[in-house]
Amino acid sequence: MSEARKEILKNESGNTEIPVIELRNVNKYFGQSHVLKDISLKIRKGEVVVVIGPSGSGKSTLCRTINRLETIESGEILIDGVPVPMEGKALAALRSQIGMVFQSFNLFAHKNVLDNVILGPVDVLHRHRKQAKEEALQLLARVGVADKAAKVPAQLSGGQQQRVAIARALAMHPKAILFDEPTSALDPEMIGEVLEVMTSLAKDGMTMVVVTHEMNFARRVADRVLFLDGGSIIEENTPEAFFTHPQTQRAQDFLNSIKEH
Amino acid sequence: MSIQALLTQFGDKYVQALFTTWKLTATSFALAFVLGIVITVMRVSPVRPLRLLAEFYIQIFRNIPGASLLILLVYALPYLDMIFSYYTCVLMACTLIPAAFCSEYLLAGMNTIAPGQIEAARSLGLTFLQIIWRVVLPQALRSSVLPLTSLLVSTMLTTALASQVPLNPQDLTGLVSYINTHAVGGVTAFFISAALYCATAVVIGQIGSWIDRKVRILR
Amino acid sequence: MIDNKNGDIRQFLFEEPGERTKRTIRIATAVSLVLLAAVLGAVIWQFYRTGQLDAKYWRIFIRWTTWRFLARGLAGTLEAAAMAGVMAFAAGFCLMYGRISRFRWLRALCTALIEFTRGVPTLLFIYFFFLVAPQLGIKLAAFWKISIPVAISACGVVAEVLRSGVNAVPRGQREAAMAIGMRDSHAFFKVIFPQAFRYVVPALISELVIVVKDTTFAYVVNFPDLMQNARVLISNYDALLSTYLVVAVIYILINYLLNKASDAAARRMRNTGTAAAPEMQTGAGEGAGV
Repeated sequence: MSEARKEILKNESGNTEIPVIELRNVNKYFGQSHVLKDISLKIRKGEVVVVIGPSGSGKSTLCRTINRLETIESGEILIDGVPVPMEGKALAALRSQIGMVFQSFNLFAHKNVLDNVILGPVDVLHRHRKQAKEEALQLLARVGVADKAAKVPAQLSGGQQQRVAIARALAMHPKAILFDEPTSALDPEMIGEVLEVMTSLAKDGMTMVVVTHEMNFARRVADRVLFLDGGSIIEENTPEAFFTHPQTQRAQDFLNSIKEH
Repeated sequence: MSIQALLTQFGDKYVQALFTTWKLTATSFALAFVLGIVITVMRVSPVRPLRLLAEFYIQIFRNIPGASLLILLVYALPYLDMIFSYYTCVLMACTLIPAAFCSEYLLAGMNTIAPGQIEAARSLGLTFLQIIWRVVLPQALRSSVLPLTSLLVSTMLTTALASQVPLNPQDLTGLVSYINTHAVGGVTAFFISAALYCATAVVIGQIGSWIDRKVRILR
Repeated sequence: MIDNKNGDIRQFLFEEPGERTKRTIRIATAVSLVLLAAVLGAVIWQFYRTGQLDAKYWRIFIRWTTWRFLARGLAGTLEAAAMAGVMAFAAGFCLMYGRISRFRWLRALCTALIEFTRGVPTLLFIYFFFLVAPQLGIKLAAFWKISIPVAISACGVVAEVLRSGVNAVPRGQREAAMAIGMRDSHAFFKVIFPQAFRYVVPALISELVIVVKDTTFAYVVNFPDLMQNARVLISNYDALLSTYLVVAVIYILINYLLNKASDAAARRMRNTGTAAAPEMQTGAGEGAGV
């Protein structure tokens, strides 16, 4: 853990602190199947929470409920202590405070890289175009794709697209960023470059929720690992403890099944 | 009849006919485009009666033959005390039918957008209208350039319906029929009109593919 | 047309509505229902006010003979359409084969012919066969005066549709055919075209809709099709509005069914995986649909 992050976590570890993201008894169904079972969770400022679990465990759904891309049937989700609104402008305003990075990048196909990054700042935050552009270029430089600013998404590799998507999220100055399997659609040789960017974000103190299969990343970067199975949080621990001494048989099995690969 | 003789006798009429065809084409395409957008909005709206009405419109006007529609407008509407000029009737027929196709192309264009992009726009905090305006419409329009180009050509072909009613000045097709019933215009009269249609179609096609090259979305 | 690899956009455009949105939708639904009812009422009132709902205008449609006469007209329509379709397919195939030929001059010629037939209105071709051809000493029966021009105006589109199908056949197919010793033309007829044809069946069925629509101009050449027989009925019974409405509905139904068949063929093709590999460029066939 970097010094900057330790500092943040230390300063704000008081009990009165309001979590950036909080889930209270969240339940979610897809038709008959109960995909999230009574999930409660607090994520503090500057924390990096990695969510792992077998496919179909509900980890992506969990991530997507936070900014209400998935609705929930019961429970509460709070951002900075404020319940996520149900709809309309209020919901949009809240979403603008939470970044999201998708498995399939989801860059806007008709806009070049720079315009992808400034769309949010200009249209949602009503920033000046020129200012937004300058900052966008800095962000693109930070994620290592400044030279691609004038290209359209289809001209970029998957890794480059995902880094642009991260820059797009950062441009909104979010309180937290949700990563929904950000490397799962990438060719193996491109995974590293994306994880590198994510690692540096974590070092700078960004609050992050990361759904991933990258166990090494979880081990190195996470403050906390959540192990999800069958829609419930089975285990919640520091990465060290989780990976070396999993408490449950299911977590043990899961870790074994990954090692075999 | 030689081409010179034909042009000395009917040259002015050809120019007028060409402009009539162009005017009908441009006006009805513009109207059809606006109507097509309205219908598309209705089709994707969450208001069920509007959706059904729009789908009904599409099925009617995609499938009705132009001649059948024009005859209804010209000869049947007066029985309901609704009398429009011949020109208006032709314009209506050439608008109502292409509007249905226009909506089909726009909807197909919208369907080229990956749902993930809408989710991405949502997670950036764009409101519904912003998503439509910034993400959905630009992509739908840009990927419908080629179909809309051929729709413009087929709108032009549809305007030949104007030859079925007395118009002054006549359109390019009506003129051929006029010349051949008043003089022995023969093949030449036909080919002049055909060439003017074709030239217009080729120019439209060229402009369309030029625009398409400019705005095509790489995927 | 609505099917697409991304699914229907309409499913993704809207989020699950919250309470306020639900209320707005309910209100909009109610308002639009009222408006629709008002418009429908106005239309019916207009029919009633002008006496068009009178039994005398509609009585003829409970008579068996009326329907038999219309059916005879419909048979004429379908015959002309079928003949035009067959001719358009034959001519379209030749134009397509010429357009992909090795010879430059043939390619240029066929391209020009295709563009010509696609750029000239059917009605103009009909006037050519109705007014111009007789001056050249070509005497044709009314059936041919309608089916030939309709076929001419469709064949260019058919050629382009077929070509898009041929282009969609993976390159490896031709190479594989050559590898087992087939000659070029042999490979085309035995391997490439059969696959190409299967790709474009839906587009060809759609083109039939245009052919059926174009045959409505048969009255110009006095061929007894559905529209022409309707005119005869009208001159005998003075029921213009009702007859033309009924005829319009018949045309709409026929074309609706053809479009459904085209959709079904497209769906079947997708389900059997025939079109899984190639991305069809359907631009050629579409747009000419008016």
